[in-house]
This record gives sequence, structure tokens and C-alpha cells, in this order.
Amino acid sequence: MKREAMRGVLVTGVDTPVGELLVRSLLADDAIGQVLAVGSRPPEDALPFSHAGRLTYIQLDLLKERRVKDLLFGPARDLGVEVVVHTALTTEARAEGRKVHALNVDATRSLLQLCERHPTIHRFVLRSHAEVYEVQADLPVLIAEDHPLNLSQNAPQFVRDRVEADLHACVQMGLSKLKIVVMRCAEVLAPGTGSQLYDYLESPICFRPMGFDPMLNVLSLKDVVRALEFATRAAEQGVYNIPGADTIPLSEAINKWGRLSIPVPGSWMTPLYRWRRRLRGHDFSYGMNRKRFHYSGVLDGTRARDVLGYVPEHPVDWPA
Amino acid sequence: MSLLPVFARAISAAGLNPEQRERIKQLSFADAGHGYDAFGMHRDFVGMGLVITAGLYDSYFRVQSHGHEHLPAKGQAVVVANHSGTLPTDAAMLWTDIVRKSNPPRIARPVADHFVPMMPVIGTVFARGGMVGGSRGNARALLGAGEMVMIFPEGVPGISKHFKDRYHLTDWRVGHVELAIRHQAPVIPVGIVGPEEQMPQIGKLNVRLLGAPFIPLTLTPIPLPVRYHILYGPPIPIPDLYRPEQADDPGAVREAAARTRAAVEALLEQGLAERPGIFK
Repeated sequence: MKREAMRGVLVTGVDTPVGELLVRSLLADDAIGQVLAVGSRPPEDALPFSHAGRLTYIQLDLLKERRVKDLLFGPARDLGVEVVVHTALTTEARAEGRKVHALNVDATRSLLQLCERHPTIHRFVLRSHAEVYEVQADLPVLIAEDHPLNLSQNAPQFVRDRVEADLHACVQMGLSKLKIVVMRCAEVLAPGTGSQLYDYLESPICFRPMGFDPMLNVLSLKDVVRALEFATRAAEQGVYNIPGADTIPLSEAINKWGRLSIPVPGSWMTPLYRWRRRLRGHDFSYGMNRKRFHYSGVLDGTRARDVLGYVPEHPVDWPA
Repeated sequence: MSLLPVFARAISAAGLNPEQRERIKQLSFADAGHGYDAFGMHRDFVGMGLVITAGLYDSYFRVQSHGHEHLPAKGQAVVVANHSGTLPTDAAMLWTDIVRKSNPPRIARPVADHFVPMMPVIGTVFARGGMVGGSRGNARALLGAGEMVMIFPEGVPGISKHFKDRYHLTDWRVGHVELAIRHQAPVIPVGIVGPEEQMPQIGKLNVRLLGAPFIPLTLTPIPLPVRYHILYGPPIPIPDLYRPEQADDPGAVREAAARTRAAVEALLEQGLAERPGIFK
């Protein structure tokens, strides 16, 4: 990776494993001067690692636009922040309502607008998600960046918000003086990342629709952080799919996670997982995953490889 | 646990001879991790496919084939054939013939209609053997990766054609040449003689069942043991005839499709003239 000196990077969503690891990784890069980390936890609970004075943590509610503005045109300007990496989207599929939409979409939009007027920030990286894509039998298995998005009215808010935030950043590309990079990352198979598959694999027995065994692609924490690092230094703006090193059938993913895979008639899946959700409090929603539990959908990372130089290198650490 | 991969490995290990095992090993294959490609193909399932089709290929349909030298040793190519027979055994036999006899060993990825991936079990097993759903994006990705795709331009109307229409190509769709022109891939015409008579169809019920688009009404409940003759023709040199941007020229695409249609028709005529009889 080309390591030109950079005065500062602002990262949102550092309460999540992806945000925290990204901060660690940026701090390990001597070419980056300062890292400004934004999270919702109190400072004493956040980012417990040494940083030799190169890390500033700010506890901030991104819904409070005035405070966000004060941050960007105060400490961020003083530290010479050049790049904003926005990873703070809701990770709970069950979270719904106006407040959730405000965080997922309105906060993204207002952050982007403030960055456009900012004197030192010239690049905005949005960590988007593979969930924005539609998966269907009659659509290509290999999902390129021009693949249809899931714009269904019936899609849950978790998906709709992600699509809206993603599209907002995409629309600004070319209109804004900022270089905008939208990273549509495959599902990160790790806790605290909003991974539906991780939640699904939490149970010792995993039911799946009988007769179907679609191909999935999953990303490791190490690779998603690498990809976001590539994006902070991207010369080109654009939309990039970020696949992981593991492309695997659903049944093999279940086996490799050390779980028992039991095929059941497709019509049983919704009630089974509705009851699991109600009784055990799990986040996995079968309705949200029904299509990709039937039909394959694998991100095509050709563009990220050719333009950003990103190639997945770190497979998921499969327990079994 | 999923038993299918275990079955596939066991059947593949027990049923293939050493030469076939070696051929499967030599197949050029873009492993996307864990032994599968992005579309779900796996060597063990290709091996299992050869074992499963062996009885049909060797004993039931007693396939005879000619012209394998026309299959390119490497690089993208579009294999185009007539489609018939109510059940897609013509695709299975062509797939088997190419895996068994191409030199060096290659696999042609069948491009199936959208409803096939929607069919339980069949959609999954076929995908493991190399089939992909019939979207332009899938064929584009495979050709871009230098693979060989197998397309039946007649599609479902071909496989469901009335017995009186045997050996007459139905609506010859043009998507295959559009892809070939865009990706500068040669088209290998193939005539398959035999399956057009295997299961005489006299009508169909337009009822969807398990994803299949219709229920055929046939004179026989299973295919007759007709003999298959597979004839590969010389490649149509699309890259010499058309520039990639002509994929968007409807006139050029229609002209190219007429060439591939004529080539397949000529092979069918040749095959019909040369065969001693339907079952011989």
C-alpha cells in the first residue's frame, strides 16, 4: 500500500469491533498523524490501548448535529483531519423506528454535508453493506457494483436504511468536492458487527431450507479493516464491493462453525426462527435472509482489486 | 450435517476409474475457497455427475461423438446446441461427453433457465456440477474468467417441442452470440441427434410444479433408449468476424445468430444422414 503522510483520520462507530480494530490499525501506521475516534461510550470505557498521544477519543451522539459540527470544525479541523471513515450504522436488525433511521441515514447525510464545507477534510469513506443488494434466482450469482439494489417496500428497516445511506453517498459523488468512497462490505462473521449469519450460527442446531444450499461470501474482521484502510488512501472515488476470502455453501459454513445443519421444509423456517427470536432474544430474522438462504449471492471484488488493490487475504477463523 | 458432499466424495472415489479421476483433477477451476467456485461447482460433484451419468452415457443412450478437436484447449468459448427431449438428458450427455473426452480436459458450464436454480435439490446438485442460472451476468462472469459455457438458444420451447417439430430448431434466441461478440469468444456449434425422439411429446399442461414451468404430456413415461450422436462443428470465429462493440448492433447480432443456427442445422442434417437408425 502506498503510504503517503496523512495528518489525521476521523473514525465513527469505534464502539463496534470494526471501528475499534480500524483505529488500532490506523495507529499502527506511522504515516498517519492523528486518529480522532468517535463513539458513544464514556471515554474511560472506550479504546483501552496505548497510542502515544496520537489518539483523541470523543464521546458523541451523532444525532446531535450541532455537536457534530462543533467536533468537525473544532478538534477535527485543529488536528488536520483529512479523511472521515463512517462506520456507525445500527448493528441490530430488530432496531426500528425514527431514531434508528436518524442514526443510519440522517446522521450519515448531515456528516457528509458538513464534510463538504470542511477546510481540511477531502475524503469521505462510508462502510456500506452487501445487504443493500437484491438476491434472486434470476439475478447473477456474482454481484458486481451495478447489481440491482434491494429497494423492496417489504424489506426491513435494517436493509432499507442501509440502502438509503448508501445511495445518499453515491448520489453525492461527483456533485461534491469530496472524494466519496462507498465500501459495500460482505458480511463480517464476527460478534457486534450486525452479522445476521453470526447470530444464526450461535445456535447449536441450524435449520436451513431443504433442497437449497446457496453460496455465501463472508469477510473476516482483519480483511474489512484492511479494506477500509485501502479506502482511506484511495486515489479514486467510487463504489467498491469488498468480498472476503471465504466463499462457501451455507451447509459448509454451518459445519465449519461446529453446528448441526438440519434441512427442514422452507415453510417451517419462518415460524421456527420467529420463535427463536421471541424466546431466546436472538437478532436473526429469517424473513430478512430468506432469499439468500435459497439463492447464491457472492460479491465480485474485481473493481476493489483493480482500483484499490484490495484482495482478501485473511479467511474467517472457523472453529471446527 | 449436510450429507451431500460426503455422498459426492464417496461416489466420486468409488465410481470413477483412475483416468477419469485424473481428468477431474486437471479441470481448470477457479476455486473461490473451500473447494467451491463462486457458483458452487465442486470437483467431487463433477466426479459424482460422471458416475451418475455413466449408465445413461455408456449403456442407455450409447453416446457416440465426433469432432472434439473443435473444442478449444483453453480460453472462453460458447458451446451452442439444439435442445429437445422433454427431460434435459441432452444437456447431461453433452456435459458428460465434454468432461470425458475434451483434450485437455475441460468442463462446459451449462447455462440453465431461471427456474432451474429455483428447483429444490436439482438446482443445488446441478450448480455443484457446474450449472449456472440463465442471467447475462453469470455467463459474462464465466466468459470473463476464460471458461466455456454451454447454451441452448432454443431454451424451454426447445425442450418442450412437439414430436412433429423434431429436428426443427424453434425460436433461436440471440443472447448467446451477443455474449460471444462482447467477450470475443468463438462459438462451437453442436448437433445432438437422438434426444429429439426419446420422449415424444404430444402436449403440455401449463401448470407450474416445483419450479418447473409446465407438465409435459408424452407418449412414454421415461425416455426411450435412442442412440445419441453428438457432432461438434468447427468453431465460428466470432473474434475475426465481429468487434466487441457490435454486441450492441442488433443487425450484427441477428446475422451472427443466423450463422450459429445454420451451423447447428447442418450438423443435425449430417448426423441424421449418417446414423443407421434411431436406436442404432
